[in-house]
Amino acid sequence: MRIYQWLDSRLNLKSVERTLLDEPIPGGASWIYVFGSATLFLFLLQAITGMFLAVYYAPTPDHAYDSIQFIEEQVTFGAFVRGLHHWGASAMVVAIGLHMLQAFLYGAYKPPREVMWMVGVVLFLLVMAFAFTGYLLPWDQTAYWATQIGLNMVGTVPVVGEFLMRVMRGGEVLGALTLSRFFAIHVLFLPALLISLIAAHLFILRRVGPAGPWTDARASLGSETFYPRQVYMDAVVMLVVFTVIGSLALLVPFPLTDKANPADTSFVPVPEWYFLFYYELLKYVHGPLEPLATWILPMVVILIMLFWPFIDRNPARNPIRRPVAIGAGAVFLLVVFSLLGLSLKNLYAVPRVDPAVVRGKALYAEFGCAGCHRIHGAGGAVAPDLSFVGDTRPEREWHVKHFKDPQSVSPGSFMPKFPLTDPQLNDLTSYVLSLKKTP
Amino acid sequence: MSEHQGEGDEGGASTPVGTRRTFFGWVTTVAAGLIGFGLAVPLVGYVISPALKRRERPWVDVGSLEEVPLGDPKQLDHVTTIQDGYLKNQSQKAVWAVKRPDGQVSVFSPMCTHLGCGYRWDGDVKQFKCPCHGSVFDIDGKVVAGPAPRPLDLLPSKIENGRLLVVFKEFKPGTKDIVEL
Repeated sequence: MRIYQWLDSRLNLKSVERTLLDEPIPGGASWIYVFGSATLFLFLLQAITGMFLAVYYAPTPDHAYDSIQFIEEQVTFGAFVRGLHHWGASAMVVAIGLHMLQAFLYGAYKPPREVMWMVGVVLFLLVMAFAFTGYLLPWDQTAYWATQIGLNMVGTVPVVGEFLMRVMRGGEVLGALTLSRFFAIHVLFLPALLISLIAAHLFILRRVGPAGPWTDARASLGSETFYPRQVYMDAVVMLVVFTVIGSLALLVPFPLTDKANPADTSFVPVPEWYFLFYYELLKYVHGPLEPLATWILPMVVILIMLFWPFIDRNPARNPIRRPVAIGAGAVFLLVVFSLLGLSLKNLYAVPRVDPAVVRGKALYAEFGCAGCHRIHGAGGAVAPDLSFVGDTRPEREWHVKHFKDPQSVSPGSFMPKFPLTDPQLNDLTSYVLSLKKTP
Repeated sequence: MSEHQGEGDEGGASTPVGTRRTFFGWVTTVAAGLIGFGLAVPLVGYVISPALKRRERPWVDVGSLEEVPLGDPKQLDHVTTIQDGYLKNQSQKAVWAVKRPDGQVSVFSPMCTHLGCGYRWDGDVKQFKCPCHGSVFDIDGKVVAGPAPRPLDLLPSKIENGRLLVVFKEFKPGTKDIVEL
């Protein structure tokens, strides 16, 4: 306290304190105003956990995966810190979404706050860029193939797409150059941009003041200082958010998939939930219309979001007197959440590929079965075609016996006996049984 | 405004005063404290944990017992795997093995206890000699001459199925006491 007084007598801190804490909030403090602070808190949490992850992380294809595994398995609290960063990213998207929804509903983008809204939209896009670049860093199968798809989408943009994709990828293939530039963007470029824009966002807030309630009647109740009641509400929400993320980090493990293997094209990646609606949309649009979904629609939506304060020129802030704007917002959310819902439903409806089938497929390759057998046109033609052997010969027992001793069930067969262990027999059988017309 | 009334006035904006103000301030402080504590403890543990962990050194097979003649120290080379965080490095290491008449084997660290140079065995005079500063040790590792402050460092060793197993360690040179690195 005495140090504070000593500093205050020299630096005149009291007036700064007043400016910061006595900011008037029209209509008084409210729980509905907490989302901006929650987002800012989550950004700080991401920044802190990110710095600590960087203590052990190595951004090269040789070591990225091993270094994350080291954090997960060897470093005390490593899995917790990584969990905080992972769940914090999701939470940040949720918090931004709610913050934008609140600003939209309250008409807080209307004059004189147009620029604050626009800076906010850019901040949202930056957060999405954080999500995209951060996703590659663990260099596991999910990371690698999800990023591959993301890059391919950029490639579908006409004229400049190919060029843009190559710039993002850095090299001929998704590899060392891609990883190091994604790392640099994620931990150096984007944070610098984000911090500057957060500063601009807050600066504008202090210049024009918070929007407050949408009805003049409530606003005329008079304003209340930011401290202590709004600060208290913000702090309580931050604690709740931290508790939720911390619990998720402790209770829901977020394991790595296998190390990225550019040769394994059978891996089906699933993007993070906040990109799922977009992923789902792309399933419905094919052929010449594909660019419509991959970039025209997103571009249009982003431009509408960005310039929304100039598109919606209705001066009213009360939602009841803005049926068009509220209707448009509702339709947008309905579409996004329907796509998200559909995507989640499909994801859980699709039977996950049985790992035994995957192992069996590897054995099929390892023992050179394709030297004699053919599946969907690939392989030799001297032995029976196996494309639909799961339909023509569905008995498991038969296959197991056959692999052990082909001649015992198929007299005269020239298929050799392969030295298979019992688990290998099972895996190979699972694989051939999976070869059906309808999976 | 009285102490216990809820509203004050601050430049035209109302503000809670008295016990209400104290309550809000207190809750804010507690929330900030809990978040800070919940972050600080794991993050400190996260940063210092590798510094506190002692490497587990494995038993390494350095060769067959038959390779070591009685009373004639022999340098045994072996490849040891060193775990460096998430990296594994293969490294060539040597030890000196001495077989005694009773069949026991002593294994010495290959570094002179003076400043860590590699020494060699002089079979003519039956002494270990360090070429750097002239330290001399007898076959038991005891200092015979020169600046070495302590005898040669013994490494833990055992014999299994006629093979000599050693735990490779390094020690701080130049000190009278044995300090493991």
